[in-house]
Amino acid sequence: MRVHEIIIFCFLFCVSFNAFSHNPEDFVIAEIERGQMNFENEEIAAEYGAALKRQRARRLAAMPLYKKFYIFVKAGFEHIIPQGLDHILFVLGLFFSCITFRSLLWQVTAFTVAHSITLVLAAQGLVQLRGDIVEIIIALSIVWIAVENCLYKETSKWRYLVVFSFGLLHGLGFAALLTQYGLPKENFISLLLAFNIGVEFGQLAVLVIAFLLIKLVLRKNWYSNQIKIPASIIIALVGLFWFVERVFQF
Amino acid sequence: MRKLVFISALLLIVACQQESKMDPNINPFFQSWDTAYEVPPFMDIKDEHYMPAFKKGMEENLSDIDEIVNNSEAPTFSNTIEELERTGKLLGKVSRVFSNLASSNTNPQLQELQRELSPMLSAHYDKISLNEELFKRVEAIWQDKDAIELTSEQRKLLNDTRKQFVRSGALMNEKEKKQITEINSKISGLSTSFGQNLLAETNGFELILENSDLDGLSEGIIAAASEAASQKMEKAETKEEGEKYKDKFVFTPHRSSMYPFLTESTRRDLREQLYNSYVMRGDNNNETDNKEIAAQIAKLRAERAEIMGYKSHAHFVLDDNMLKTPEEVYDLLTKLWEPAVKRAKVEIADMQAVADAEGQVFEVAAWDWWHYSEKVRKEKYNLDESAIKPYLSLDNVLEGVFSTTNKLWGLSFTEIFDIDLYHPDARIWEVKDKDGSHLGIFIGDYFTRSNKRGGAWMSSFKGQSNLDGRERPIIVNVCNFPAPVGDKPALLSFDNVVTLFHEFGHAMHGTLTDVTYGSMAGTSGPRDFIELPSQLLEHWASEPEVLKSFATHYETGEAIPDDLIDKLLNASKFNQGFINTEYLAASLLDMDWHSISAEQAQQLDANKFESESLKKYGLLDEIAPRYRTTYFAHIFSGGYSSGYYSYVHAAVLDSDAFEAFKEAGDVFDAELSLKLRETIYSKGSTEDAMDLFVNFRGRKAIIEPLLKVRGLDGSK
Repeated sequence: MRVHEIIIFCFLFCVSFNAFSHNPEDFVIAEIERGQMNFENEEIAAEYGAALKRQRARRLAAMPLYKKFYIFVKAGFEHIIPQGLDHILFVLGLFFSCITFRSLLWQVTAFTVAHSITLVLAAQGLVQLRGDIVEIIIALSIVWIAVENCLYKETSKWRYLVVFSFGLLHGLGFAALLTQYGLPKENFISLLLAFNIGVEFGQLAVLVIAFLLIKLVLRKNWYSNQIKIPASIIIALVGLFWFVERVFQF
Repeated sequence: MRKLVFISALLLIVACQQESKMDPNINPFFQSWDTAYEVPPFMDIKDEHYMPAFKKGMEENLSDIDEIVNNSEAPTFSNTIEELERTGKLLGKVSRVFSNLASSNTNPQLQELQRELSPMLSAHYDKISLNEELFKRVEAIWQDKDAIELTSEQRKLLNDTRKQFVRSGALMNEKEKKQITEINSKISGLSTSFGQNLLAETNGFELILENSDLDGLSEGIIAAASEAASQKMEKAETKEEGEKYKDKFVFTPHRSSMYPFLTESTRRDLREQLYNSYVMRGDNNNETDNKEIAAQIAKLRAERAEIMGYKSHAHFVLDDNMLKTPEEVYDLLTKLWEPAVKRAKVEIADMQAVADAEGQVFEVAAWDWWHYSEKVRKEKYNLDESAIKPYLSLDNVLEGVFSTTNKLWGLSFTEIFDIDLYHPDARIWEVKDKDGSHLGIFIGDYFTRSNKRGGAWMSSFKGQSNLDGRERPIIVNVCNFPAPVGDKPALLSFDNVVTLFHEFGHAMHGTLTDVTYGSMAGTSGPRDFIELPSQLLEHWASEPEVLKSFATHYETGEAIPDDLIDKLLNASKFNQGFINTEYLAASLLDMDWHSISAEQAQQLDANKFESESLKKYGLLDEIAPRYRTTYFAHIFSGGYSSGYYSYVHAAVLDSDAFEAFKEAGDVFDAELSLKLRETIYSKGSTEDAMDLFVNFRGRKAIIEPLLKVRGLDGSK
């Protein structure tokens, strides 16, 4: 019965987030979505993409710094909620694995530090990895964490290292998106920071929401086999699905 | 469980927030646009919205007309002529958006729609212009015109409205009317096919080059061609097809791709290939051939003119112009022809001298013109186009044209960043008057792309009128400047700059307009007049004072050096023999195609007709007309038939008008600027065009300032 409720809830949760639409003020972000438009003629699409970049640069150049900062915080946040369903699941995977709050905190910190490192390196063009490969391994990382949740009762010592390495990988994923946004040269560092802050807020929001739901709605300790195992199975299955999907797109 | 439902509901409510004010379930054309400045809600308009909107628009238009006709009161200016101005609002709304996007951002669906709509619309407008009851009311008012009190603007509107009916055949009998309707709809369909064939023909040829074929080409040109190739490669449907572009370089008969190649490439064989692909467009005896279509259009036009009681289509068209007869036009063109050809011959001799000095054994041909004229230019005028370009970034030039209109009329432009247009390269500004009041909206869409028609033009998304409150216009300029490659800014050639000023002149004509009746606003005047406001503005682009103010180097910020300006202006007289000859040849070709009687127009072979016509005037082998028949879209799919001469006619006007500023000793003379705005730019077609010019200049225009400007006066 409980499991049943969780599934319904998760479904509604995801559906409602997917239905979020952007504030029309936020053109820099809205454009990226519009950039996905399907043109029959790829030459036109390529021209359109180049034009979008120019428009983005013009609009950004015309904005005061605080507004740019806000936009990049928001972009970072939105890359977790609602766009980054894979990152949400990964963070939830960490969430369900932890006996103590302290352990959760350390894991999330390791993840954050790691993806901040690769985000900075990739944004400066120092590290590069093909986007589609990154996406595949990100899917795999979700499966890994979730499966580990089911197999082991306690978090292993290696866990932090694993989480850290996956963090490096997720950072590359964020960077790919950030490149699409086009970071203006003049405010490179501050806007990169803004984007990262947004990502952290997004992660934090996922954890807080998950915590509140389980604590208040289900009146359970977050570490409970009744929740941990089924939730992790769902996460693993979704991760597996993405993995297969992305491998076939590869 | 209750909490669960509660929270879920909350999330769904948040999720369902709709930001767009438009109802997505209703066709945007059927809703009022409470967008900023009433800019069309491009993001909500989908291809499938046009047809229903056109159909309903036409219906509404006809029922509006019925209401006027069925008015039991006796016809008056206000219940008939003025009411006519108010009809067809929805149709106007959808037509403006559609015709703009079908040219500047088209796709196969829009092209298909265009094919379908074109005859429907022409039949629709015929229903109105051939509506007898409506004409009776107009005629009754017109007969009574001396007895009623009207403003001069109203009087002009009454005359124009009546004339339109008469020109559409209101005085004809039933049989004749039916013939006209049929002819109009046929012409309309043929015109659309002509334009579409031309687009297909221009996109249909590509010169794919190896690394070893790039002799003479500069870095930027090569980069653009390489980019073109990799885009083609990505676009290719099969891998093998894509392979043929791998590590290659592509040039096309699009002018922005062809001209740089013809100028720089030292490979004569390749120049010939690319040049021929350009001049043979529509003349390849394939399914997109335009020869028969052009001949058919000319024939139908001649037949129509005959039914209307005119000797030829040209007589019919010119009856409404500033120059009133073909004789006047031929007189103007032939007067200019001699000095132009004479100058062109000198230019050929100059080029041959360069070729001979190189040790070439050939005689300079048409496809050599750009290459060798560039060499002559470098030698005699010592000007390197690529040395100028860094000073002419698009943003600088825009700055320049904005500040020119600021100095002339006190206008100011503020770019708006939070309105989405139909394409991300289109930019939008609010135009404010001297006193800070809103004057209009300006949209600039400057870069070339494959779903944009070639050339440059001005159009509008909303017209100006003061009939029911102050309605200010939304004007658009569309150009085909090469898009920037990578992170570099877009750098224009000086020709591009002149084009930009030209279109901006039209835009000013459309923006400064301040008339009561929308149908007389802005660029509604006769063909041979409306190029005056555009060409006049070009003169400021080449004023050293103006040029210096905006042409700063995009990297160093340094202003364009004086000696570069001198060279530039000196060079602007260069190649005028060619430019005028190719233009005049096209103008004469246009006049010839449209001065024939219906009888002469039967069974014409387009190529034979063209070559005989050009031979008659003595066109040089080294020069093709600016447009050959099969790609002369101005006259066969645009509205310039018997009107291509109007550019040079307007040039006579604009050179003479600018001469007034020269005489005043200040190109921004305050009094003269104001007079220019009041007598020409704000007037639309509320007065006879010749009167407008005379009001400004104090006399009719003379030809001498133009000959001087173009270096055709024998002084060089």
